[in-house]
Amino acid sequence: MRRCRVTQRSIFMNSLSEIPGGMRYHFGAEARLQRSIEDGCMAVFDGWSYEEIATPSIDYYALFERGMGRQEAQRAFRFTDADGRLLALRPDVTSSVARAAATLFAGRARPLRFCYAASVFRQRSRSHAEWRRESRQAGCELVGAGGRAADIETLLIAAEVLERLGLRSGTRITLNNVEVFNGLSEKLALDTGAREEMRRIIDTRDDSALQEFIRHHTTQVAQGGEWGLARLAGQREVIDEARRLISNPRSRVALDALDELWGVIEQLELTDLFEIDLGDVSGLDYYTGLVFKVYVAGAGSRVGSGGRYDDLTVNFGRREPAVGFVLELDALTEVLMRRAATMEPAQSHESGAPIVEPDGDAAGLFREARQRRAANSRVRIKQRDEG
Amino acid sequence: MKSENLNPNYVNSRKDSMIGGEDGSSENASSSTRAARPSSFHYSSHMLTVALAKGRMQDEALALLGRAGVEVSGEALASRRLAVEDAEGCYRFVFVKPADVPVYVEHGIADCGVVGRDVLLESEADVLQPLDLGISRCRIVVAAPDGAAAHDYGMLHVATKYPRIAAAHFGARGVPVEIIQLSGSVELAPVLGLADCIVDLVETGQTLADNGLRVVETITESTGRLVVNRASYQLKAVAVARLIKALREVTTAVESKA
Repeated sequence: MRRCRVTQRSIFMNSLSEIPGGMRYHFGAEARLQRSIEDGCMAVFDGWSYEEIATPSIDYYALFERGMGRQEAQRAFRFTDADGRLLALRPDVTSSVARAAATLFAGRARPLRFCYAASVFRQRSRSHAEWRRESRQAGCELVGAGGRAADIETLLIAAEVLERLGLRSGTRITLNNVEVFNGLSEKLALDTGAREEMRRIIDTRDDSALQEFIRHHTTQVAQGGEWGLARLAGQREVIDEARRLISNPRSRVALDALDELWGVIEQLELTDLFEIDLGDVSGLDYYTGLVFKVYVAGAGSRVGSGGRYDDLTVNFGRREPAVGFVLELDALTEVLMRRAATMEPAQSHESGAPIVEPDGDAAGLFREARQRRAANSRVRIKQRDEG
Repeated sequence: MKSENLNPNYVNSRKDSMIGGEDGSSENASSSTRAARPSSFHYSSHMLTVALAKGRMQDEALALLGRAGVEVSGEALASRRLAVEDAEGCYRFVFVKPADVPVYVEHGIADCGVVGRDVLLESEADVLQPLDLGISRCRIVVAAPDGAAAHDYGMLHVATKYPRIAAAHFGARGVPVEIIQLSGSVELAPVLGLADCIVDLVETGQTLADNGLRVVETITESTGRLVVNRASYQLKAVAVARLIKALREVTTAVESKA
């Protein structure tokens, strides 16, 4: 019994070796892989003429509250400035880019194309599977361009990154337009509570609850057959099905937009990468049109998301259309790391030939080292106590 | 497995061993990584891994699946193996504790799962719930000893296996409570004076009655649900849709009979 107690104390003792939950180190092969994925993303973004922007790591909490919505922003690490104003450790980059577009770049010709790779911090994660509290994101924002071409541009950039990572065969990018839901919600004259209830039901694809909800909220039985959530995801036929069930003009406009978008994807022969998912109703308070999520085989949760957010920049004094996305670099690294592990053993990074220190001649040693470095070869200085 | 998966350090240590491979043992390291999460490599869009909650839910779920045309040999089940495949090789079933089903599904280690709504509410798992299977029907209730002034709530001591559900229920009513989390035999708590009442799962109410407890109110009904991982729902869309369709047909058949 006594021994048991001693062991327990040593396990739970608060010491300097402890790492806060959701934080981690990156090193070795994994760090190199993540770096190369990040570089790959930035190269693709650059190829589409997106300009790199670095935003402040710490900013006023109010920025994120406006930019992400209160519920999302509340997940941020918060603390106060010297004057008592509330600060936050950047939980997303988009809010800050949107502010810069409306202020710093107010005078620049539109559209603005920005890209970034940055760490974001969230005190509470979205789900148990996404345990990270610091995560690395790479993203694009296209500000000042509305319409289909801008939507397609961002989708294709995301698709190109995934193709270049060799993930095309296991990738699915789901497309939706939030106005489909907004139109339905308006038609049913739902109050805020009921709207959120319907959003939650559709989000979890809870079919039985939806039937119940529709029965409760519509006086006349929905015409043209049953509402089936299972049939909300698929290819073009999903739009036809939805048109049969949904008659309100607001949703119909959104369905037409999706239809046009799908038409272009078909012509580009990219239908294996994409899918329409009318059940994707997350982030409704933020997005105003197209929304998309990126899934990759081998990752249990999504590895990226994006969409159109035309109402965001008005918070900073200038209303203009905008669309963008982020990719989760940690999740992508994990997928590629596991794939690499099945194919070949991790390559050793210790390949630089060690330069043995000649007796006491430090200058000679480092002269040679400098020469090799000048020729761009890797060196590794053998230290005295090295085996 | 549950605690390992939820613990961030688990991942750290996993990567440790992988990077350790640079010292020359890379082959061992990568194979141990492979062993750590075998199903991650299972990219087949045809076979689904389905986590079933052990116990009564497992039996009823397998019976339902049998009616839906998914046969698991009795021999395989009798073997006490924790993972078995169906006769046609379309599904691999893993049998885990109920509370672990949402964990496996949320992480995508299992594509689908069958688990009670009580467990889902408690876990707050971010999973899709496309189908109410109508099996293992029971209620989550507040129960208190006979004769207790049930609605005279001042500061209530509540013993339960469902701390989140209990806190949410009393919180919504503005009743201050102290939640006492137990892992079993919750009925004993009021009898011994540990708590004023309990929040627990009730099927027939017999255990409650045996311990001199009475249902004060029903918080919600609970039935077995089919749950699906968000990524699997997209990436294995055809297989998932096939399972949902097959199960929907047999569950509606049961409902219309009843």
